[in-house]
Amino acid sequence: MIELFSVTKRYASGQVGLDNVTLKIDAGQMVFLTGPSGAGKSTFLKLIYCEEIPSSGSILVNGRNVSSLPRRKVPYLRRTIGVVFQSFRLIPRKTVFENICYLPRILGSSAQEQKELAYETLRRVSLSHRMNASPHQLSGGEQQRVAIARALMNQPEILLADEPTGNLDPELSEEILRLFLEINGQGTTVIFATHDRDLIQRVGRRVLTLEAGQLTGDQKLPGELNDAIGPGQGTMGPGQGTIDLEEEA
Amino acid sequence: MTFSQAISYFLREACSSLVRSWKVSLVAISTITMSLFLTGVFLLVSSNLRQLISGWEEESKLVLYLETAATVEDQKRLINKLEQAEWASSVNLVTATEGAERFRQAFPSLGELLEGWGDGAIPSSLEIVLNRQALPAQADFDSWLESLRHDTAVSTIDDDRDWLTQLEAVVFAVEALGMVLGLVLLVTAVFTISSVIRLTAYLYRDEIAVMRLVGATEFFIRGPFYMEGVLQGLVGGGCALVTLAGGHYLLLRQSADSPLSLLADKFLGPAELLSLLALGGLAGFIGAITSLRRESLGQTAEVDPEWEQEG
Repeated sequence: MIELFSVTKRYASGQVGLDNVTLKIDAGQMVFLTGPSGAGKSTFLKLIYCEEIPSSGSILVNGRNVSSLPRRKVPYLRRTIGVVFQSFRLIPRKTVFENICYLPRILGSSAQEQKELAYETLRRVSLSHRMNASPHQLSGGEQQRVAIARALMNQPEILLADEPTGNLDPELSEEILRLFLEINGQGTTVIFATHDRDLIQRVGRRVLTLEAGQLTGDQKLPGELNDAIGPGQGTMGPGQGTIDLEEEA
Repeated sequence: MTFSQAISYFLREACSSLVRSWKVSLVAISTITMSLFLTGVFLLVSSNLRQLISGWEEESKLVLYLETAATVEDQKRLINKLEQAEWASSVNLVTATEGAERFRQAFPSLGELLEGWGDGAIPSSLEIVLNRQALPAQADFDSWLESLRHDTAVSTIDDDRDWLTQLEAVVFAVEALGMVLGLVLLVTAVFTISSVIRLTAYLYRDEIAVMRLVGATEFFIRGPFYMEGVLQGLVGGGCALVTLAGGHYLLLRQSADSPLSLLADKFLGPAELLSLLALGGLAGFIGAITSLRRESLGQTAEVDPEWEQEG
């Protein structure tokens, strides 16, 4: 569960990232975060994974007040949160396997454990056959799926996506969106930041609208994909089950 | 992750980084090799000089040159006086004839100089071997020497300790110069390593950002860089020791009879060698620490024009 209480983020430059935002996102929900560029979507996500500290207000993530979390404890919080970006942030000199195995390596998993976990996670995003490929050998959609796999490696309770379809064409965008819906279907809370209103209209779910840092809308929309895939209030635990987009398609 | 697993991971990453960016690493290693080699040379020369001085001190003598007019009674009186001093382990009379003979043996080509002078060319002398353990306070010793100087039978006193003290001052100057030069070069090496590590951190900023994102601790992120600094220092130190040992071997082989070889007769001991190696590792570690100040690594990790444009 994520709760924001009167959260304001004001940057040193004077720019306001978030302005007195109060809201609650239940565990297992899928929420779209929308608004124009500079509306505060990225700031909202950064505050949740502690890349930024709020100027005022409190943020609770799974009951823990992360707004006053000591710096040294931030890494442990981040191990429970997966983050996906528009630019994928894959390391070009590393293979797919190496790109997604940062966290298991940090946690001291053996080579065999890393391999098994990587295979299982890549299978969830239908890329187990590209384990030894380099990022530049993959299409944009595949690269984003690798980035999602990296975010899923520790079976996070929360998955944050910052414009994950921003660099993809409509077909690939829908493919990635379906993947997020599937992940949410397994019980992971997903916050999906996008300015693509069409995509949101098609999917439905809860939509939070930000404008100039203020929360100007909080509505629940029905949608085609929503009806096709499920309600988004999954009962399965994070990391359970597998997804095969090709089979689904 | 256990500590040993972390160290093993740091080593792997550091070695891989050293190999991958071998050109810049070579610059850092060369700098530290040069600084530790020069420090080692000064250490070698000063330790050999100290050993030489210590040996000379053991053999050092006090020589009382007697007036040509000194009688046998004067000699006996002086010998008696000298033997009463507990720091005089032996007193030996060198007659004018023996003195001249010694001169001819020491300087064969100058022997003819003595021909015209007869037996009085080299005065008789009394050689006193000092027992260093029994020497009194400097002031007392000086006053004893002064009393000998004022003796009418004594012409001059030659104290070996005078030039040994001067030599000690030279060794001290060599050591001080070595320390200053070594320190300057080590500081240069630290800055070089620091720059190399900073450059490496910059090259790996994308990876550092991802590691931060997935929950890596500062220890885990910085560890490989610290290890890389230490490795550069240790490799540089190792190269310096090998070069030093090679140079020492060649010097002794090529010019064993030269006075120069006296300055490098004995190689450095294990403790000194280990200290030099440890100094290299320490310099590397300090270089890594200075390069990875919190704000420095934070900037390299987070400032990425493409990534910053998001949202």
